Amino acid sequence: MPFNAKSGKFSASINTVEIGCGDKKITIGGENVLPFYTFDAPVENAPKVGVEITDFGLENEPECIKKYYEGCETVVDMAKKAASFEGVDFLSFRMEGGDPNGANKSTDELIAMLKEIAAAVDIPLVVCGCKHVEKDAELLAKAAEAVEGKNAVILAAREENYKNVGAAAGLAYKQLVGAESSVDINLAKQLNVLLTQLGVDGKSILMNVGSASAGYGFEYVVSTMDRVKAAALSQGDTTLQMPIITPVASETWGVKEAVASEADMPEWGNQEERGIDMEVETAAAVLAAGSNAVILKHPESIKTISKMIKELM
Amino acid sequence: MYKVTFKFENSEDVTVFAAFGESLLEVARKTNVAIDAPCGGNGACGKCKVKLLGGELESKKTTHISDEEYAEGWRLACISKITADVEILVPDIASAYKSRMKMADLDSEEEVQIFENLKEQIAEVGIELKNNLEIIDLTMDVPTLDDTMPDNERLEWAVEAATGIEKVRIPYTVLKKMSHVLRESNFDVKAVIRRTSKDVFVYDLVPKDKEHIVAGLAVDIGTTSVAAIIIDMLSGKILAKGSTGNGQIRYGADVINRIIESTKPGGREKLQNAIVEETLNPMIVEMCREAKVSPEQIYRISIGANTTMNHLLIGVDADPVRMEPYIPTFFKTNALFASDIGLKVNPDAHIILAPNIGSYVGGDITAGTFVSMIWNKPEFSLFIDLGTNGEIVFGNSDFLMSCACSAGPAFEGGDISCGMRATDGAIEAVTIDQETMEPSYHVIGKEGTKPVGLCGSGIIDLIAELFRCGIINPKGQIVREGARIKRDEFGMGSYVIAFEKDAGSVKDVELTEADIDSFIRAKGAIFSAIRTMLSYCDFDISMIENVYVAGGIGSGINMENAVRIGMFPNIPIEMFHYVGNTSLAGAYAMLYSTESEKKVYEIAKNMTYIELSNVPTYMDEFVAACFLPHTDMSLFAEREGNS
Repeated sequence: MPFNAKSGKFSASINTVEIGCGDKKITIGGENVLPFYTFDAPVENAPKVGVEITDFGLENEPECIKKYYEGCETVVDMAKKAASFEGVDFLSFRMEGGDPNGANKSTDELIAMLKEIAAAVDIPLVVCGCKHVEKDAELLAKAAEAVEGKNAVILAAREENYKNVGAAAGLAYKQLVGAESSVDINLAKQLNVLLTQLGVDGKSILMNVGSASAGYGFEYVVSTMDRVKAAALSQGDTTLQMPIITPVASETWGVKEAVASEADMPEWGNQEERGIDMEVETAAAVLAAGSNAVILKHPESIKTISKMIKELM
Repeated sequence: MYKVTFKFENSEDVTVFAAFGESLLEVARKTNVAIDAPCGGNGACGKCKVKLLGGELESKKTTHISDEEYAEGWRLACISKITADVEILVPDIASAYKSRMKMADLDSEEEVQIFENLKEQIAEVGIELKNNLEIIDLTMDVPTLDDTMPDNERLEWAVEAATGIEKVRIPYTVLKKMSHVLRESNFDVKAVIRRTSKDVFVYDLVPKDKEHIVAGLAVDIGTTSVAAIIIDMLSGKILAKGSTGNGQIRYGADVINRIIESTKPGGREKLQNAIVEETLNPMIVEMCREAKVSPEQIYRISIGANTTMNHLLIGVDADPVRMEPYIPTFFKTNALFASDIGLKVNPDAHIILAPNIGSYVGGDITAGTFVSMIWNKPEFSLFIDLGTNGEIVFGNSDFLMSCACSAGPAFEGGDISCGMRATDGAIEAVTIDQETMEPSYHVIGKEGTKPVGLCGSGIIDLIAELFRCGIINPKGQIVREGARIKRDEFGMGSYVIAFEKDAGSVKDVELTEADIDSFIRAKGAIFSAIRTMLSYCDFDISMIENVYVAGGIGSGINMENAVRIGMFPNIPIEMFHYVGNTSLAGAYAMLYSTESEKKVYEIAKNMTYIELSNVPTYMDEFVAACFLPHTDMSLFAEREGNS
């Protein structure tokens, strides 16, 4: 009997979401198959790759990153430069200095910086908060206002502050709402339900279901993404059909494999290579598990991952 | 030494002397002043709030006390130290859990009806309603100079002649009174005996002309509350019924904290003392007075208690209960008599302990399962006991599966800022007007009793109503504002059900977001345990035909509300039956009917215990269930439409 391949495409699909505006806008999601299963059905929108900069500019960046931004005086200069790296689809600006337990920069200062960046680059924008729930409630609400009309992703609303962030980003200023939960399919779903009950359109939500660096409890991340995609596609669960965006750089550039110097760990080899490896491995894995977009930092990683995506599509 | 005066809202002051630096909570415990400290006194739960009326007290401010409250004098007893003479107000809510011992009015139909129904049900399934205690008449020859047989042999001969059984055992208690009783009645007596095929045990001797009741005691020892009845062992009639708080509660609200306390030096004695001397013995005295019997006339005791409670009651090491692989000292023991543990009844009274089947499924459940009769039905039923631990039994006449989940004390009012046991002053039913957010509620007690707190059934109603009215979101966060919504300085919201002026307490009766969160976890634990156990056996919710809900969380549960918040599975309401305190009812059955006792042992032997912590999907189910009604809304879809 001849072999008849059965298509593994599903009747449900991931929501299609456009990010940004104008010529450079990108589209993610829309697929009705498992990640990269192009042999089952065509995947219209390839996963996208973003580059991350922070309000600290080059201050906290590893040496190996600094060299790529040579000549940049300001964060805005960096943003322009980052947007030009090969393989970059969007820019992620993380306002980590806002954390009251850290630099505690004022909301006004950070928003002013954000406005300059938004004016300087034309690629889609992802605006990330400082991870302090109360500060983010205020900071991200203001950020949503500051980039009005840009169709940016506000990352992220969490269970504790979803009302403020969701209302500003999703209702008042019509941005895209990033919904961040901590590596649990049920928590991810609960937050989506809360946001939609608040009135946010499910089609303008992106999920950050949580991440980790490869090797750091990463099995949970992979199984959560796997299960989210399975529920969205095979069970047609509309509360989980939002595309997934995963910040990778902020996880991988903090682990010892990326930060330990070669002097301290000679047997581990070149530090820059290690950092890139961690970032590439983690990004490749979360893409294979179902992420529709990843946020990276090292230009080499970005180039590698976007090449990988192209070849797999 | 400094003078510490405890003042109460409704009773007399208690004054005691304490040393510099002593903890106020410890001083209260030593003085038997009840202050609730479910966390064990480490400042975590905020339930031991007391008010400083005069004098000085060294006490930090914590997140449990707002600036305003601190200024008014509110302090946490557990983190307060004695530094000078001081006057303290202990509000009712802080001691509500230890509400006074309460005797039931047996003239009221309801109280007795439960046991009458049970007797009928037992008889229907063909189990004999009879035990082996009896009273026999004995007439002996009066001794003379020619008939010199000693009293005890004379009695043994007479018992043998009356029963035909050669081996007669006469305990020391009878030996002691024998000479007097025999002569007083001219050797014409009644004997209380226990007869087996092998021997006869003589419990008591009384003059023949004297009315004598052969009494028995059935007790339910819960982690939070204790309930008991005295019965006539010959007729099964209930002679007295009482309830009280478990005296061990000041050593922690849940079994784990109690076990930890019991491992400290002298801890086991302390905990045994708290249940035997402080809780059961005073209750026995009070109940005997009601029943008009003397405590010595209680010849048998039957106890339904969870594994930890029966271990702590008899003073054996309970530590292995909480540690992997969770092996208790015993499941079943027959070697126990009242005098062994200091219960003030007839010292030879045998103690029947309903058997445990695991560390977290104890005698209260095996006895309760017997009473629910699910073991005798062909259809699949679910038996749920809502207590500090939630236990679930599923099965039919062919098999029984059981599991336990840690629901926490929320159903009995613990871990809830205004929570209390289902006694006078507890709000037990609530509805809310969706427009105005104004509540109407029912308070347990005499007409006009003011609300002091919320008991389990009241909390279920309140949360269901808050959710229905859109005041809270599915995560339990308050999303509407209004006159009844308060926010503290940290932004935590609460819904005030009775303002101070309407309440029988010195503060508002309210439900905070933290309380709602505790409760959602409790209901999530129950629901996820049900789902996990069913899927473990490859069953699903549609196969359940009856759900029997037991527990002392109120005079009843609004099942519709319990389903609406996702605590119980979404099946037709008529399939749910509230069966009250089945642990006590089961203890009664075991006491009165020896065949029932045997049946409970048989049920226990045939019941399979699933340790949920070993089931990988349980945690996942739990997180999914910690949402109103559930993360998978399709499980409650039809009901959503109805509301």
